[in-house]
Amino acid sequence: MQLITQGAEAHLYKTTYLSPSTPAALKIRPTKPYRHPILDRRLTRARVLQEARCLVRLVREGVNVPAVLAVDWDINNTNNNHSGAGGDVGEGVRGNGAWILMEWIEGCVVRVVIQRWERYIKSRSAAVKLQDNEIEEEEKKVKGLLRRVGAAVGALHKAGVVHGDLTTSNLILRGAEEPAAEGDGEGVSPDMQGEVVLIDFGLASQSIQDEDRAVDLYVLERAFGSTHPRTEPLFGEVLEGYRASYRGSGSVLKRLEDVRMRGRKRSMIG
Amino acid sequence: MSAPLLETIHLSHLPPSMPVHVALYRDVQNAPYLRQQLMSANAEFEYAFIDASTVISRTHLLSAVFRAVNDYMNGRLKSRNVHSEMVFSLSPATNIAESFRKFGITDSTKDLLVVKLSVTPEITHDSVAAHLGQNVEGTPVPFDDETLSKISDIAKIKKAYKLGALNTTPPNQANGTQDNGMRRLELSVLGAIALRGAT
Amino acid sequence: MISIGLESSANKLGVGIMVHPDDGKPPQVLANVRHTYVTPPGEGFLPKDTARHHRAWVVKLVKKALREAQVSPKDVDCICFTKGPGMGAPLQSAAIAARMLSLLWGKELVGVNHCVGHIEMGRLITGAQNPVVLYVSGGNTQVIAYSSQRYRIFGETLDIAVGNCLDRFARTLRISNDPAPGYNIEQLAKKGRKLVDLPYTVKGMDISMSGILAAIDGLAVQYGLDGDWNDDEDVANNASTSDDLENAKPTRADLCFSLQETVYSMLVEITERAMAHVGSKDVLIVGGVGCNERLQEMMGIMARDRGGTIHATDERFCIDNGIMIAQAGLLAYKSGSTTALKDSTCTQRFRTDDVFVKWRD
Repeated sequence: MQLITQGAEAHLYKTTYLSPSTPAALKIRPTKPYRHPILDRRLTRARVLQEARCLVRLVREGVNVPAVLAVDWDINNTNNNHSGAGGDVGEGVRGNGAWILMEWIEGCVVRVVIQRWERYIKSRSAAVKLQDNEIEEEEKKVKGLLRRVGAAVGALHKAGVVHGDLTTSNLILRGAEEPAAEGDGEGVSPDMQGEVVLIDFGLASQSIQDEDRAVDLYVLERAFGSTHPRTEPLFGEVLEGYRASYRGSGSVLKRLEDVRMRGRKRSMIG
Repeated sequence: MSAPLLETIHLSHLPPSMPVHVALYRDVQNAPYLRQQLMSANAEFEYAFIDASTVISRTHLLSAVFRAVNDYMNGRLKSRNVHSEMVFSLSPATNIAESFRKFGITDSTKDLLVVKLSVTPEITHDSVAAHLGQNVEGTPVPFDDETLSKISDIAKIKKAYKLGALNTTPPNQANGTQDNGMRRLELSVLGAIALRGAT
Repeated sequence: MISIGLESSANKLGVGIMVHPDDGKPPQVLANVRHTYVTPPGEGFLPKDTARHHRAWVVKLVKKALREAQVSPKDVDCICFTKGPGMGAPLQSAAIAARMLSLLWGKELVGVNHCVGHIEMGRLITGAQNPVVLYVSGGNTQVIAYSSQRYRIFGETLDIAVGNCLDRFARTLRISNDPAPGYNIEQLAKKGRKLVDLPYTVKGMDISMSGILAAIDGLAVQYGLDGDWNDDEDVANNASTSDDLENAKPTRADLCFSLQETVYSMLVEITERAMAHVGSKDVLIVGGVGCNERLQEMMGIMARDRGGTIHATDERFCIDNGIMIAQAGLLAYKSGSTTALKDSTCTQRFRTDDVFVKWRD
């Protein structure tokens, strides 16, 4: 197994499912030794199931997300002594964490695609004076990608789920080539064809509230601004793609204006 | 009786000492007999006997097998043994008897999937092949997606997994070819299997 | 340079004196005196009465601090006071005293953000260079990390502060406020064994506490544990004795234990998330709740598992005090910031990230 990322909550590995030729993503939520064993077990279980339920629902609704292949919400609970009497709250109660095995999405994260594009435009315009039609072509390409990002988020919301942590790192352009090494593929405008797939539903929940949906968009907008300052002026395309994706997007976009005004942080009372 | 086309599979993440043996038969003649052996808990017949019309694909069956074996290794079986658990693991619901009615062998079963796990070293490809060869009256066919696609009863499967609303054949829509529809059905079924019993 | 700091944002009145030696040697605490307004069990502190307490004590404490530090007013370079956040009336009592001293001694004023005071004090005492900071007190709950001259808030409570939640539950159980309700909850919790189910509300890096308080208050009422203690029920013996924990009726100790376990898990979780986010391995806990040994223990396990270290201080420094204000104020003063008399107001609301941290790179 190959470790892909290690976050605060979970470790993500690339592994296989059923046969060595089927790649899969394994997300392990290890037990947290600082937590009381009963609480730890309850939380680990609730969270892995929350994530799995959201994904299963989205797959059923035809939203582009990794499918759930297998889940274990209580690893290696071999000591079945629920005798209660004399059972002190010891390590015996502690689970060993939980995991979720998901479909592997082959592709490149949108963050990397856009960053490569930004670098390409920068180096290209430094080398030659860009013609208007070339600029137009390039922008058309990235705008198309951004619209598909918006449509993907719209499809998610339409299906009754909010992501909770939308960033361009949590979007995969299916089929796009991952640069093998730093600097690979420089000098070429990156391919932007392919479906946009949403990943990492660790903070997702089921909701159809305008507020929750608007906050989802706001989080993406903020992340986009800090990650892709050069492309930020085109973020409107994401919202246009979102607007066109389902009935009800209009009131969410209206709510987004309120959320922006309010900011995430309230003034605090001492 | 003919020699089975018994396939022996090593599933990822399961111990190499525990391969799974799978055989697919069409036109089975002695389903009532096989079912009877199961009912009388004849130890010689500890198999998962599955009505193959309820299975979409290899991945579908093997996912249920994987779940059953994982639960077995973690001491969490809900049914009698790991083989009955495989039948139960096909089900999205927690009612064991119902899972056997829906996915298990019935007296009228014609297309049959047989699964056996090497729970002990004595259970080998050859021992399973020999036993099945003597006892299953049917035509062995390859356990592959092409064969299964001729057998599976999509309407029945959708009903069993409560996926009736899922559109598997939207013609000529973007992102909605028949293949895509079937893939979605399969993935939805895998999700249902994985989440069974989650509260 | 020498600064004197006056802190009065809640029920503690603190006066501290700090020196930053001219020869570049490490800063030193010359005096750290404090007087706490303690209310009877079951009662919180009201702004008006707290302010009266502070006004009555401030002159005594300033004199005591000068005596302990063995400095005279002419040695002092600046007078630092808490500008906010905090309770209005108590804040004003020290601000007025600071203005008076400023005019009396002819020294500059420096208004200090209370939260920044905690952070700078914590950094000084523990030597932590650039940690993720968990600031937990009666009025505040924030996860903070430094980035380009601001202490940025990554996560915070969406409703009430952790300390406030503990204090209010102490009132429900009629636990003594002396020396502090949180301290007494901690001692009682040590005898708890049964974990009761409480809401656990983490949203990204933010948390919510009001649902937990409502739930545990409800349990206290349900088991008849609110209100006065019975004669046969003293603190020493208030522990679960049953072997069958699952079915045992929870005791006061169990409720305190469960509240701490749940709330501190939430705090450690959001702190860990912030550490993963900014790529920091070290954590500093400041604020009154930061003295809690169980919180420190849990945070320590988390930090250790991440290959980092926890930095915490004892009650002299993590509970509100004057030297934290003197320290943060002196840092600001040395970087050229002072507060004109006309601007020396206080404010109940004052965000940590509103302060431009001129003294760090």
